[in-house]
Amino acid sequence: MTANFLIGLREGLEATLIVVLLMAYLTKSGRRALLPRLWAGVGIAVAVSVGFGALLTFGPRGLTFEAQEAIGGGLSIVAVGLVTWMVFWMARTARTLGSELRSRVDDMADGAAWGLVLVAALAVGREGLETALFLWAAAQASGESGTPLFGALLGLAVAAGLGYLLHRGVLKVNLSRFFTWTGVALVVIAGGVLAYGVHDLQEAGILPGLHSLAFDVSAAVPPSSWYGTLLKGTLNFSPATTWLEAAAWVLYVIPVMFFYLRANFRPKLRPAEAPAAAVAVAS
Amino acid sequence: MPGLTSPKIRRTAGARLAVVAATAVLPLALASCTDNANANASGTTDGPIQVTSTAAECKVSATEAPSGNLTFAVKNDGTEVTEFYVLAEDGLRIVAEVENIGPGITRNLVLTAPAGKYITACKPGMKGDGIRADFTVKDSGKQATVDADLQKLVDTGVTQYTAYVKDQTEQLVAGTKEFAAAYAAGDAAKAKSLYAATRMHWERIEPVAESFGDLDPKLDAREADLEPGQKWTGWHRAEKDLFPPAGYKALTAAERSAIAKQLVADTEELSTRTRTVELSADKLGNGAKELLDEVARGKVTGEEEIWSHTDLWDFQANVDGARIAFENLKPALQQKDAALATDLDAKFSALQAELKKHAKGDGFAYYNELSKDEVQQLSALVDSLGEPLSKLTAAVVL
Repeated sequence: MTANFLIGLREGLEATLIVVLLMAYLTKSGRRALLPRLWAGVGIAVAVSVGFGALLTFGPRGLTFEAQEAIGGGLSIVAVGLVTWMVFWMARTARTLGSELRSRVDDMADGAAWGLVLVAALAVGREGLETALFLWAAAQASGESGTPLFGALLGLAVAAGLGYLLHRGVLKVNLSRFFTWTGVALVVIAGGVLAYGVHDLQEAGILPGLHSLAFDVSAAVPPSSWYGTLLKGTLNFSPATTWLEAAAWVLYVIPVMFFYLRANFRPKLRPAEAPAAAVAVAS
Repeated sequence: MPGLTSPKIRRTAGARLAVVAATAVLPLALASCTDNANANASGTTDGPIQVTSTAAECKVSATEAPSGNLTFAVKNDGTEVTEFYVLAEDGLRIVAEVENIGPGITRNLVLTAPAGKYITACKPGMKGDGIRADFTVKDSGKQATVDADLQKLVDTGVTQYTAYVKDQTEQLVAGTKEFAAAYAAGDAAKAKSLYAATRMHWERIEPVAESFGDLDPKLDAREADLEPGQKWTGWHRAEKDLFPPAGYKALTAAERSAIAKQLVADTEELSTRTRTVELSADKLGNGAKELLDEVARGKVTGEEEIWSHTDLWDFQANVDGARIAFENLKPALQQKDAALATDLDAKFSALQAELKKHAKGDGFAYYNELSKDEVQQLSALVDSLGEPLSKLTAAVVL
């Protein structure tokens, strides 16, 4: 029961976090009208994952391990690319908030918002298939006892609840701080997703170095513990991390964070009347 | 750069990225679908192999299985989340795994396993090396659809043949220069002695050389095959001059020199071009067959070397080339069709044994010295080899 709850919680958090931060961003920037698109992306990913999972569980054909890993790992890395683009897009549009250029930016936001659908779909979809396969297995087991499925669903529900609380919480944060920290959080999360994607591809034998560990703290942070689950669910922290994963994380987070912070803090030195010029410098 | 246009540019980039991702992942997913073994109990497996994982144990209901699609139904009877791995014999490479098996849950692991030794492992608590046991997959005769090792064998074969082609062209260039020098200088005796042996390097790799449509006629055209207006150069032009038929008017020194120069230039060009030629398993297989067809078409009939009668040198060289290609593909062929490999081995040996009967010193008997029966015998062996050889490409590539 607890163990299944923790799996649900972890998988739920992995899928929820990016979506929650995007939601908060849209609300804060007064683009609530775009929220349905975000939900559409989430809905598509859930429907595809659940349907595909059911097909693979109950249908005549299964998916080989290699394909599962390649899909999960591949989607993760694509998701990182899109989230990175999103972070910089958000930083750029956020700076023009309240200015006279608002309407023009919104025109473009409208186009870019389709990108939002993709980001939401990928953030959920990359974990979706794996979670769906787990849930269907739990559902199959419910003939013997309902607790595995119940535990898993409860975990997902708690993840959604935590996401909601986070959403409410970040809404209270002051506007300029919010934009900075959302971006920082997204960069760190995306770094975790990248490392996780690299690990998947290592397991599939597509990338080497699966057994060259940078560190192994699984004794101190057992993956099955609640804190191990939270770390994995939020930051994609793996207690036993390979060198390649660690390198991917560092090589992604440090330069991206540098450019993100530079793009965010530099324009503040400029007069507010010239946002276009500031953007030009930043980009 | 106008800052406000950049989001739009990036949007397109993002969308394109997503399309690329979708097109890359979807076919992969479809191509990697595999039969759920429990759906076809009459296949290679009699239902899934049962695995029970607890905190201290990892019970696997079988220690061996026939190759092909395997399904492990992994049930977690412990209290912690568990994982199940199928590892390669080295215990390091993950062949397949299933994660997130919560207590009370059964999850299936489907994999396509070629014959070999494996290690199974349950990992209660998702950490450490897990509880391991040996597992053997026996050859069921059915071939696994995903077989990385086979690809490796094919790749090795192609690499080896590429090296062979390189070696032969190098010897061909060196030999041709020597021959051309002797011929241009009017040293007919030396040129004659070099003629057949040097040409063997050409004949061994003829399918590769023939892939350059412009060079082949310049180097190897026979007088009977000349198109109207085509300038006759190459080996057979020199052959006719060195082994003149009755009533033949010899070339002048200047003409000889021009022929020799052209021969060297064309051969060097061939050598340069073969450096970048991309070989593949199907080219090896088809090339082997082409070489044998070449034997049947030109050598058995004695048409190729109509003046020098050194057809058996060419014959031997064609068989050499075909045999090397076959040998390079043999490790892969043995996996896919062992019977064909054995058959080809036997027939190459029989043909080689017959050829050896006509060996004389470093070379062979002249073709016009062979009796009708002897030619018949060679011809029959070439035909019997050609039939299985035509199956080589399909057996290795498909």
